[in-house]
Amino acid sequence: MEKVKKKILVVDDDERHLIATQEVLTNEGYEVFTYSWWLGVTNFVRRLQPDLILLDINMPALSGTGLSSLLLSNSGTKNIPIVFYSSNDEDSLRKTVSEYGARGYISKGNIYELKRKVAYYLDNNIQ
Amino acid sequence: MEQDNAVTIGKLIISNECMPPYTEANIVADRFLKSAHLDAVALVEGREPIGLVTRHKLLFKLFKRYGFELYGKKPIIALTDTEPLIIHKDERLDVAIDKALERQAQDAYDDIIIVDDNDCYKGLVSVKQMIIQQSNSLANIIIQKEMISAKVNELKKAELMKSQFVANVTHDLRSPVNVITVVAELLNLDSERNDIEGLKRHLSLLMSGATNLRALINNILDLSKIEAGKTEVLNENFDIVTMLREVGETTRILIGNKSVDVEVIAHDGPIFIDSDPVKVKQILTNLTSNAAKFTEKGKIVLSLAAEGNNLSISVSDTGTGIKEIDLNKLFQPFSQLDYTKSKKNEGTGLGLTIAENIVKLLGGSIRISSKFGVGTTFTVQLPINQSDKTNAKTSAEAISLHDIKTIVLTEHEESYGKG
Repeated sequence: MEKVKKKILVVDDDERHLIATQEVLTNEGYEVFTYSWWLGVTNFVRRLQPDLILLDINMPALSGTGLSSLLLSNSGTKNIPIVFYSSNDEDSLRKTVSEYGARGYISKGNIYELKRKVAYYLDNNIQ
Repeated sequence: MEQDNAVTIGKLIISNECMPPYTEANIVADRFLKSAHLDAVALVEGREPIGLVTRHKLLFKLFKRYGFELYGKKPIIALTDTEPLIIHKDERLDVAIDKALERQAQDAYDDIIIVDDNDCYKGLVSVKQMIIQQSNSLANIIIQKEMISAKVNELKKAELMKSQFVANVTHDLRSPVNVITVVAELLNLDSERNDIEGLKRHLSLLMSGATNLRALINNILDLSKIEAGKTEVLNENFDIVTMLREVGETTRILIGNKSVDVEVIAHDGPIFIDSDPVKVKQILTNLTSNAAKFTEKGKIVLSLAAEGNNLSISVSDTGTGIKEIDLNKLFQPFSQLDYTKSKKNEGTGLGLTIAENIVKLLGGSIRISSKFGVGTTFTVQLPINQSDKTNAKTSAEAISLHDIKTIVLTEHEESYGKG
């Protein structure tokens, strides 16, 4: 029987990051979904129930931090682990993680760190 | 409260009225009755003040029943305060006021005698006048404090904007670099797998990231140079009409396959001006590339006209438009608006800031009018430094709407003229 693939949702307004991240993670055997616009994203998350959300921070209209707060306060989405995925500097990311209750962060630009950390957060989905 | 050090009591002298101490009381009273505004007279012997006569005290005494009869002929020194408040001319106003008000209640508002370094009589100062002056000083201090506070807030705001700018630059520089790094890894994998399709796809992503990075670096460097005052204006003689048409053609290319026409409305013939052509072109390119990004259908119009002693160049579009509330954010660095920003309309968020700065550098101004959902017009006014080149139009009137020609650049890059 084929193993059920873990679902990862990547939310980012930069199409290039979405495409590249999707390819990297698909090659790792995950089922990767992307979303590039804030409108309707909470409904999408509720329907999809991904195993992990990679959330960009600097997005127009609704920032990743705002979206994170929204998802964590919604009963249908609050248990889905959120990891910030951003080009911000690590000091600021560390602060943002603790401030907004995300599971952690992944700095963009390092394909190996992306793979390793995604695997880590999926394997350590402790509530 | 800290006082205005510039105000000393000597500066407030308004009267140097004085009389010898043995003058008859009647004569002094007469002096008061003749001068309605005279409140007090100092009694001075030699040059030394030895007493003070105040209007209300003297007249009150004399006008009582038998007052004139009893006291009129007496020397004034017998009827007056022989221990008046005497203050050195350089005493601070607040100290002088304190001393004045420390007196007995009935004397508290008597004038004060001012003396010089040799204790010689200089003049009189009224308490009322001192209090008015003190109030003015306090008001000035409050105004100065408010001004300092406003300045501090302004500096804090500037500091915050600077930090925000650095944070934005840091993020926006990292973002395309991160794309390039990840895509380079993907290209590596493609090459290992001999995946030609993957190579093509990822190369296109790589180029997009690199182009974005180059634009951002160029813009940041331009802006830094302008803000550091290192940008030089190198004036040359050039034909603004030809430049406008060239910019129109570039705009048409930027529009791509969208159904948007580009119209260039300009004089039918060259107009030579003296300005910096590289910078004028950069302004126009920044404005038209914005128009190209945010216009999905309709047209973009570049037009040239004269307004007084200025050359007026407008870039109008039928694009997204800007909400009134957002108009003042437009020229701030990295201020892409939420409803305009998407990766399809990717920009550095610095184009308009740079355009505005260059316009100012050239001695001009830029204004915007926009209606959300309808379109936007940027109008740049530059001073006309028209050259006297042969055959060139030489006055503002010459750049009016006479002999106007409209060039329309269509979707298929055909061009035709409308007379």
